[in-house]
Amino acid sequence: MEYEEAKQKLIDGLTKKTKSKSKFYFSDLADILEMKPRDAKKIVNQMVTDGILEFWSSGSTSMYGLKGMGKQAAAEHEA
Amino acid sequence: MAFISSGYNPDKPMENRITDIGPKNFEDFYPPVIKNNKAKWLYHEILKPGVLVHVSETGDEVYTVRAGGARLMTVDLIREICDVADKHCSGYFRFTTRNNIEFMVDKKDKVEPLIKDLESRKFPGGSYKFPVGGTGAGITNIVHTQGWIHCHTPATDASGPVKAAMDVLFDDFKDMRLPAHLRVSLACCLNMCGAVHCSDIAILGYHRKPPMVDHAYVDSMCEIPLAIAACPTAAIKPKKIEIDGQQKNSVEVNNSRCMFCGNCYTMCPALPLSDKEGDGIVIMAGGKVSNRISNPKFSKVVVAFLPNEAPRWPSTTAVIKKMVDVYAKDARKYERLGEWAERIGWERFFEKCELEFSHHLIDDFRDPAYYTWRQTTNFKF
Amino acid sequence: MAKHKTPLLDQLVSGPWPSFVDDMKQYAAARAKNEKKIEYQIPVDVVDDLMGLLELSYADGTTHWKHGGIVGVFGYGGGVIGRYCDQPETFPGVAHFHTMRVAQPAGKFYKSEYVRKLCDLWEFRGSGLTNMHGSTGDIIFLGTQTPQLEEIFYELTHTMGQDLGGSGSNLRTPSDCIGQARCEFACYDTQDLCHTLTNDYQDELHRPAFPYKFKFKFDGCPNCCVASIARADISFIGTWKDDIRIDQEAVAGYVSGKFKPNAGAHAGRDWGPFDIVKEVIDLCPTECMKYENGKLAINNKECTRCMHCINVMPRALRPGKETGLSILVGAKAPILDGAQMGSLLVPFVEVNKEDGYQAIKDVIEAIWDWWMEEGKNRERLGELMKRQGFQKLLEVTGIKPVPQHVKEPRHNPYIFWKEDEVEGGWERDVTEYRKHHQR
Repeated sequence: MEYEEAKQKLIDGLTKKTKSKSKFYFSDLADILEMKPRDAKKIVNQMVTDGILEFWSSGSTSMYGLKGMGKQAAAEHEA
Repeated sequence: MAFISSGYNPDKPMENRITDIGPKNFEDFYPPVIKNNKAKWLYHEILKPGVLVHVSETGDEVYTVRAGGARLMTVDLIREICDVADKHCSGYFRFTTRNNIEFMVDKKDKVEPLIKDLESRKFPGGSYKFPVGGTGAGITNIVHTQGWIHCHTPATDASGPVKAAMDVLFDDFKDMRLPAHLRVSLACCLNMCGAVHCSDIAILGYHRKPPMVDHAYVDSMCEIPLAIAACPTAAIKPKKIEIDGQQKNSVEVNNSRCMFCGNCYTMCPALPLSDKEGDGIVIMAGGKVSNRISNPKFSKVVVAFLPNEAPRWPSTTAVIKKMVDVYAKDARKYERLGEWAERIGWERFFEKCELEFSHHLIDDFRDPAYYTWRQTTNFKF
Repeated sequence: MAKHKTPLLDQLVSGPWPSFVDDMKQYAAARAKNEKKIEYQIPVDVVDDLMGLLELSYADGTTHWKHGGIVGVFGYGGGVIGRYCDQPETFPGVAHFHTMRVAQPAGKFYKSEYVRKLCDLWEFRGSGLTNMHGSTGDIIFLGTQTPQLEEIFYELTHTMGQDLGGSGSNLRTPSDCIGQARCEFACYDTQDLCHTLTNDYQDELHRPAFPYKFKFKFDGCPNCCVASIARADISFIGTWKDDIRIDQEAVAGYVSGKFKPNAGAHAGRDWGPFDIVKEVIDLCPTECMKYENGKLAINNKECTRCMHCINVMPRALRPGKETGLSILVGAKAPILDGAQMGSLLVPFVEVNKEDGYQAIKDVIEAIWDWWMEEGKNRERLGELMKRQGFQKLLEVTGIKPVPQHVKEPRHNPYIFWKEDEVEGGWERDVTEYRKHHQR
């Protein structure tokens, strides 16, 4: 799958789910992309670099979300 | 205070960005005597508490002076370490896994001036900046976590109880009178970001009250599915509640399933759990990581709860001191605390250490619990 | 004059052990004075406010920190931990107070020149408070504000050649024991292996794609000074295959009392004269040693390399020359399903610097492939091993089962035979069967 196509697929998949939550585990992203983790990682990394996705970390666990989405940004006064 | 740029351009974060370069190369920091003798060491000896000599097949020797330190350090104290290193060790020093500072010199006559310098440096309140010790069959520095100074889920402080405990154990930091070395560790909650679960003595912060639910704010501050997913025991469920006639989304905590880990609070600040009466300390004992003589062992819970008694945690330090002293008197040479407890039997351990046994100390958490019950008629009265 | 009264903390300045309170108080005063005329990039009274906040915790027995997960440096999913104070009006200096993890050099060796630069940077752009070191091994920069994160990262990478460490669902900054740099027991170069793998796996360290945290730790011998066997998802523990090297003359030196046993570790008490039979031979867990007619003999084939005899007589005994390491996997602290010790996966592998440690990397990458595919969210490797079984681990790593893999064989006969392991397979003709067996 080309990057642009994968990117759109992931954005669509995440947007559909953002009504209830905005942060996702890496495996959720790999599932949406229907890719092996190592291949999915390449797409996800690129989307982070392109400013489409951002990380969220609990310190012990990491999650991903569409940039600026979700309640944490406001709660952390970083929005 | 004007903002001073490092050269980073926030509009173009990828411009000239350097990433993935890793840590500094250790070889840049080896003192010459280490570089010249790496993998050539023949043997070592502890000359006195805190002082080691390693002898190389080249005939070279390296003398190490080990000093304790609080792992919470200001840059001014680190600069003072640098001063000592510059003066005595051509600028080289290292840290041990257990937060000690090691100064290395290549001649025996450099040792005493170094020790004298280290021991002469004191804080205004009288404590040593760099107490020399922490070797051999004694007690070395306590490894620990952040506690109240910087963590969001601690059930106790870390730096404070460590300071209090090391003050009480100080003689054993400076001495080597124990049957074997004894490792003390502290983790300020059960998540154990400082893995204390294989320590001779572990101080563990523990919450005992489930999170409160700040119903009016759960939905506005948190993403409810994430809070639910954060719970390792599936104790959190979504719940609709009514506040001032308004329907709000919130959650409900099944208190009897809560293991007090605080993971939900990490995801959702509307679920706070810390509490003065609820929070305190669990004492564990008898773990080890070395494969020497017996296999590595997990620490066992020997005191289910002690209150947080800031600033010096006297009940906690008293239990630790008692265990150390009984072990010192009773164990055989080379026997670690856990090996000693197993040889005499845990029933005798509780008796000798004057610790009360309660139902809290019998494992009831999932399958491994069964293997800790006594399945023999061999026990002591 | 201190900004906040701290009567409880002040009780921790006394006593012999280094007082972090005194250190902070002195430093807070130095910041206020600012003799070096530093243009502090975060509030000058940050340390005062931190002490005030800690004093509040000492009084009310609770923490005043909230977690924040968004902050970080661009493109990295780890290395920064967000922290916000829940009393920002009273303690504005620490309202935003994020941690940065800075990757420590292998062996935690330092030179002052470099460390002073780190201190200057952190004083200028942060609180000036550190942990030397965090539990995993990183240098911890304790407390700065969001706009400084990228600036610090830029200066670290551009002027100091220094990267951040790991946090979150990443490979965590690997750490090692002092190893061959200054320890005669070390069976391989822990620093080189630690440093090489840390650098080879930078992507895994900075960009989270694992189900949860993952730790490497490197111990040069079975004494396990960095506790790899208890806390690393993969522990690399030095060992050897051939005979323990014996210097009989030095043995005699210990027996005669010329050398102190255990390198002098027990010198604080009079344990009586050294008794080689009682203290070494009889404590050997495999009973593979003899001391007869003034000669020490070891039946090396039966030795499990526990290190006791070598620890007691380091001048006389040395590990063999055919050295390598054992790989144990799956150790973790108790959360959630109880603590797990590392389980032996590779009894022995050569440590080959020349080919970039390929044999070791093959094992690591096979494990990662399995765990990334099969691991549930927040499931450590040890828990996946429990869920899918040790046999599965052997299958994915292509390692042949050997008795060394178990403490003892299974207690139950419930073997889940696979069809291709059973002669003739599972497809059978029931009509044929009924020819000889009535219904």
